[in-house]
Parts: sequence; C-alpha cells; structure tokens
Amino acid sequence: MATEVPSHDPISKPKDSMPRRSLLAWLSSVGLFGSAALAVISNLVFFKPRVTYSPSARFSIGKPDDFPAGTRIARDVERVCIVRDGNRMAAISTTCTHLGCIVAISDTGFACPCHGSHYDQDGTVTGGPAPKPLPWFKVTLAPNGEIEVDKNSQVDPGTYFTV
Amino acid sequence: MSAPTIPPPSAKEPGLWTAVRELPSNVWSSIFRHPLPSSDLERAQTSFTNFFLHLHPVKVHRNTLRPVYTLGLGLISLFLFLILVTTGVLLMFYYVPSTNQAYDRMLDLRGTVAFGIFLRNMHRWAAHGMVAMVFLHMCRVFFTGAYKKPREFNWILGVVLLLLTLFMSFTGYLLPWDQLAFWAITVGTSIAGYAPLVGSQIKFLLLGDTTVGQEALLRFYVLHVAVLPAILSLLVAIHFWRIRKDGGLSRPEPGTPPKSESTVVQLRIEPGKRVFGLQGFVRGPFTRIGNTPDDSVYSWPNLLMAELFVFVLTVSLILVISLAFNAPLEQPVNPMHPPNPAKAPWYFLGLQEMVSYSAFWGGIGVPTVFVLLLLAAPYIDRSPKGVGRWFARERLLANTIFLTLAILNVIFIIVGTFFRGPNWTFVSPF
Repeated sequence: MATEVPSHDPISKPKDSMPRRSLLAWLSSVGLFGSAALAVISNLVFFKPRVTYSPSARFSIGKPDDFPAGTRIARDVERVCIVRDGNRMAAISTTCTHLGCIVAISDTGFACPCHGSHYDQDGTVTGGPAPKPLPWFKVTLAPNGEIEVDKNSQVDPGTYFTV
Repeated sequence: MSAPTIPPPSAKEPGLWTAVRELPSNVWSSIFRHPLPSSDLERAQTSFTNFFLHLHPVKVHRNTLRPVYTLGLGLISLFLFLILVTTGVLLMFYYVPSTNQAYDRMLDLRGTVAFGIFLRNMHRWAAHGMVAMVFLHMCRVFFTGAYKKPREFNWILGVVLLLLTLFMSFTGYLLPWDQLAFWAITVGTSIAGYAPLVGSQIKFLLLGDTTVGQEALLRFYVLHVAVLPAILSLLVAIHFWRIRKDGGLSRPEPGTPPKSESTVVQLRIEPGKRVFGLQGFVRGPFTRIGNTPDDSVYSWPNLLMAELFVFVLTVSLILVISLAFNAPLEQPVNPMHPPNPAKAPWYFLGLQEMVSYSAFWGGIGVPTVFVLLLLAAPYIDRSPKGVGRWFARERLLANTIFLTLAILNVIFIIVGTFFRGPNWTFVSPF
C-alpha cells in the first residue's frame, strides 16, 4: 500500500502560480471596489441638480426716481434692502448671515427674529450670534434706465452707486 | 357489469369527503404547525417555528423581564415606530409633496378625510414620543452599564438609530409646508451649511436649490417616506439580532440561586446519541439550554405576554393622546415673514438655544463632540464592573458625566421652550 498519491496540496504547486493568483485577486478587488466607488460618485453627481428653478439672482427694481432720497425699503421677495442716500444707491442683503432668516428693518438698522442678531444701518453686526455683516450687492444702471441689482456679485460695504 | 374490484390500500387514503370535512383544520395546521403549547418542548417549538416569534430566543433570563430594569423603553420605541409606519403609509394616500398642494392637503386631512385628523395626530404624537423614548432608552442603557463588552457595537447602532430618529422627525416636519416647516428647514439647512469644507455642498444637495422650495420639499419627502425608514428598519433588525448574539439583554445578577427546575429543559446529551436541533449548536454567550438548572424562562408565554402588555399600553396611550390633542398646524408658508420667534419642535430647541450663541459651535461643534463621546463611550469605559444595575456605585464617574450632559440638554430645551420670546430675547414665562 505504498503507492504514491499525487498531491493536490497548494504548497507543492509550482511557485509562480501563487503570484498569478494573488494578482488576479488584487485586480478583481480593484475592479469591485472601484466600481463601488464609481457608483457612489455617480450617485452624488445625480443628486446635484444641474438646473435650479429659483428666481434669477439679477433683477431690476425700477427707475431711480422711484426711490426718493432717504429711502430704506425692504424687498422681501428678492431679500434685499434698497437704500437711497442723496443721489447714491445701494442694495443690502436682508438674509441673516447667521441661519438664513429674513431680517426686519428696525430703528437702529436690522434685527433678526429667529436668533436675535442685530445689525446697524450699514449691516455691521452690533449684537447676537451673526458671524458676518450683511453683504452689499452690486447696483448698476441698465440701458433702459432702470436700476439693476446683481446678487451674484458682492461689493464692499459702503460702496454706493451714484445715480 | 360488475363493479371493478379495487384492492384495499395498505395505508388508508382519505377520500374527497374527508378532505373537504377536514379542510379548515388542515389549512390551520399547515400555517401553525403546533397547537397552543402545553409542554416545554412545545413552547420551544412555538418560538422557533413561527416567523415572527423566531426573532425571540426560545428562553430568556428571568431577570431581563424585570419591568423596573428595562422599563420597556426599547420596546415602546419599536411599537411607536410601527405606529408611525402604519399611520405614515395611510397619510401618504392623501398627501402630495407639492408647494402648491401640501398645505391644502393638511386642511383636507382636518376637514374632509375620514379619520384624517386622527391619523395625523397619531403620526405627530407618536413621532414626538419616539424621540423621547429613544432618548430615555439610551439613558437606561447607559445608567445600567449595558453598553459594555460584549455589547459595544449594539450601543453604536443605538446612537445611529437615535440620530436617524431625529433626522426622520426633521424631514417630517417640512412636509405640512406651514410656517414652522419652512423656517425650521431654512434654519436647519443653514446649520448644515456651517459644516467645515463640505458645508455649502451638503446644503445645496439637501435643498436641491439655492433656496428652500419645491425641490427641497420633494427631497425631504423622499428621504422621509422611503430612504430613512428603510435604513432605520434595517438597523433596527440588526439591533435586535445583536441582542441575541451578544448574549441577551444585560441583566441584574441573580440574587438567589435558582429555586425550581420545573422550567428547565431536561435534556441530557448522552455520548453516542445523536442530537438534533438548536441545542447541538449552542455555544458561548448564547442563552444556555442544557442539563444544568438555570434562571431562564420560556419566551412563550413570559416574554410575549410582557411584549403584548407594552404594545397595548403604547397603542392605547397614543390613541388617548390623539383623541385629546390635535397636532399643531401653523399658517401657510410665507417666505417673506418668519414668525417671531421662529421656534423648532421642543426636541430641537436645546440645539436652537445653543445655535443662538454661535452657529458653528452650537449647531456643528458641540453636537459633533457629543455624538463622538457617545460613540466612544464603550471603548473608553472598559471596566466590566457595574453592569446590570441602575446607578451602580462602581460607575459613579461615568454616570455623573452622562447625567450632567443629559441635564444640560434638558435645561437648554427648557430655556429655549419657555424663556425665549420675540427676537430670541430672554422672557419670563411667569
């Protein structure tokens, strides 16, 4: 009963078969986890909308004459406050820099109803948790003679447009 | 013509008439394989041959059934979740996630839909209850030291389930599209925008737009009715499964040696005799079924009756509360004018109070640190002492820290609820 049994033990196999096997395993893992990563990334791309339906950030607010000197009027739809000081005009954001509530015009400037932030007439923080001043938006005169506000471009606070 | 002679069958085959006559009992016994159990063997079989009952172990330790030990808080949370799924699916039949229609549909629930207001009440109060019960369940687990080895991972699942519960309620209260909904989501997603590096991207992905509107409503709706419940159900299943795999609920040590052996399976594994059934595989931390007397009792009927009691209690409480109180509905959305003060539901008012000091630290920093502390607790506190007892003396330090943080949270909630008026200024409620 001393017949030699051919061994199927992997240890006695030729040595070059193991690197090939581990290379294949490595390549398959890269393929598997790579596809999983691709799936995650493509889902993130899917969730980021390419078109949004909110109103345009650039809008006209009427002729300069509609705003007599000394006007401070809040336009809640566009969330800006239109300021006219003499012949100078500016647009200050009324979206609270704290958490996005609409600030109301108060005697001293602006006040937020949600968490009690206070701003002065120029939007500088005077109290409450707001971390930044209210941004000022670029104001221009369109060729048709109307004032145009562009919420996509901010200007330094105190920068007025002379009409 | 003579009738053909048929040799009588060796085994008696039932005739058609017999089959018809026995049809009800045959159908019944094909569904339920066992009659109501009258012996220990049948009690065990009842547990593991029924799909719903086989979630339970055949036997549980007597001390895990002590009402004052668990207070049934986890079970109550589960039953509230089941109520929420049931009423939520029913409400979906009458709800449209559209900014034009959502609020009108709320009014329809009040005015025209049969039991509409009642279903909405149940859904709202069960949601509030679930937040409270999941939080109290976490407190129970902490104060009894039940998060310790080998139950660390189940504690982590529990923390994730608490966060998911909060996120479920957050996505839920946008759906009526009333003033609370709109401004809560405005504030909530702004908080997300404060997260470092990816904050603004997360906010944009959540809202699907630059402002809160139709896209946000649709996204929160899908999250609320499909994505989050699916994740929550999966994690709840793993949470329960892990209870058994981690050796059952933590429990008080048996104070007295077991008295009777009447409830114990008298199963002797004799050498040479083949053993079939679960008993052959039971090892390690599993509930023991063996030939030694222990302090465990059969799940049927002991555990099941306890569960039934908690279920009936939970459902009746929600029914009574829903009959007595109507779920609030504020004015329809007005994106121009936030209510003053704009308050979140009570369980987020602690967060809102912290946010009123600093958006980043109150909304992102402190909550993140708190969640990380919760997640790390079982890996930092490795001492095996004091498990299975409320407020064990050995756990004085850990319990004090947890209790302090919990009380702080409650104080913030109370201040935010009762002591904050217009512009979030301090007012006295008295």
